[in-house]
Amino acid sequence: MQLARSLVRGISLSTPSTLPTGFATLDAALPGGGWPQGAVTELLSAGAGIGELSLLLPALAQLTRSSRQIAMLGPPCLPYAPALQQHGVVLRHLLLIRIADDAALLWAAEQLLRCSAVGAVLLWPRQLDDRRVRRLQLAAEAGGSCALLYREAAAHRQSSPAALRMRLQPAADGLQITIIKARGGSTGAVVVHTAAAA
Amino acid sequence: MLWSCTRLPRLERAALQRLAWWAQQWSSQVSYCSATGSDEALLWIEIGASQRLLGEAHSLLAQIAAGLAQLQYRGELAAAPTPQAARLLTRLSDHRIVTTLPALQQQLTALPLRLLALPADTLLLLHRTGLRRIGELLALPPAAVAQRFGPQTTRYLQQLTGAVAEPLPSVPLPAHFHSECEFDTAVEDATALLFPLQRMLHELQGYLRARDCAVQEFRLAFRHHRQAGSELRLRISRPCRDAAQLLAVTRERLAAFALDAPASALRLTATRFVAPAVLQSDFFARETQQAQELQQLIDRLQARLGAESIQRLQLRADYRPERAWRSLAVQDADGQAQASMDAVTAPRPCWLLPAPQPIDPPAGPLANAERIESGWWDGHDAARDYYLARSADGARQWVFQNLRSGQWFLHGLWS
Repeated sequence: MQLARSLVRGISLSTPSTLPTGFATLDAALPGGGWPQGAVTELLSAGAGIGELSLLLPALAQLTRSSRQIAMLGPPCLPYAPALQQHGVVLRHLLLIRIADDAALLWAAEQLLRCSAVGAVLLWPRQLDDRRVRRLQLAAEAGGSCALLYREAAAHRQSSPAALRMRLQPAADGLQITIIKARGGSTGAVVVHTAAAA
Repeated sequence: MLWSCTRLPRLERAALQRLAWWAQQWSSQVSYCSATGSDEALLWIEIGASQRLLGEAHSLLAQIAAGLAQLQYRGELAAAPTPQAARLLTRLSDHRIVTTLPALQQQLTALPLRLLALPADTLLLLHRTGLRRIGELLALPPAAVAQRFGPQTTRYLQQLTGAVAEPLPSVPLPAHFHSECEFDTAVEDATALLFPLQRMLHELQGYLRARDCAVQEFRLAFRHHRQAGSELRLRISRPCRDAAQLLAVTRERLAAFALDAPASALRLTATRFVAPAVLQSDFFARETQQAQELQQLIDRLQARLGAESIQRLQLRADYRPERAWRSLAVQDADGQAQASMDAVTAPRPCWLLPAPQPIDPPAGPLANAERIESGWWDGHDAARDYYLARSADGARQWVFQNLRSGQWFLHGLWS
């Protein structure tokens, strides 16, 4: 146990890098000022269509503008190309995988996360356990990319090895974000105005 | 010439030799010595062919110290113009970096004689003669010193002050890397091996940096008590020389690996190395490497998931929202040059439903009105008024009313 703990500490010493979210209030609330790279972020969303994707678009657009690939795996609807382009996403750097098999989807996510050409992987799994999240975490660490995991709101009761976990709820003209776990940071609540971007 | 010396307490010879390979990431001229009759080992690294600035020597020593800490070794570090002076300075609690011969001469003068690496009887003899400071001994004529304390004492003093160069045999880098670790109690759980592996992989990283190459595969061999040994081969998708990355890969493999029997020793071997060309920090080389890596990844994904399941999105010039885009298999999309297209200026939702879904007329307020009429020429005509609506659960919806039938539809979600 002692060994395991010192090993974990040894690894987490390497400087964590982040990707600015594009929302100043959110950056200020996150450790390192952005989405953690080389780690899993869990987005526990109260539903589809509340701004859960707009929240990521500034960061994703930035990645594609610097020729990094982003991948969307198993999204609940069709990501609408004209809207993505309006948000600055360079479409030829976006990969879309829409298959029904959860196991294959997670396998593909791991492969993508390990690839140095990939900057972020968005994943909508139907079912997920701790062990799967841990595997994604390892893959993200190996590739240095952002693993962005959408889960149902009820998942906040389960523990998770993710570096960052936040709950997303609709607010008047944006998104109410509750940070429920932030490795190296503190929990808290922020409202971002994703509606303005839409 | 500037030498850095690390004095390491109680280090076995094999470990010291690996440390000498590891240290060659800073210099090709590395020597070691495990002094007989003493429990300390010495590692010398030549850190500058010419005189270095004090600040540079400081930062280099800090790097070496940090590397040693990663390997879980403890040592005393110093830097000086001669190997013997560097060795002597490791015994001081501070002022351990001296970069010029005159400064060295000056610092030695006031230091006590017992710091000299001379046999105990020679030191005793010097003490009895009434000498206390190194300066006092250095002030004596060399011939007189040789006569009274032996020629080896004179030679040592000349090497210490740089009057005579001291040739040190440099440790050659072996063609293959190996590192071994024995356990006092046999290890049953493979993941418990990560702790020694962390050190071994950092040793490997130093070796790879010294050779300026990378690995794509390595081997872990386990020794068992009264049973034939077993082996685990690790292959990684791209050449790597980063200890943290190698550890992450190893950790993952070990998590799914069950040892045949408790392991009494572990040996890491790397015999095949890859040219460092792909590791160039050069921006274009990196881009090319990433493009190749991406291609291989897409090949792998398609092999397992089917060629059509990896898609790219493209825009199409059509006013009807459901026809303003298309998806293509990735190789078809990447193979063609796409004409740049003006983005639609009216706001569009991030999610589109696969087909418009009939709904009751929205109750709440509507915003962002937009009329879309087109397509009468190909039979898929559309005459719709689109709005932004808000559902009861807070979702922002893209809805339209068909102007011909008056029927309402949900077409997308503003996410």
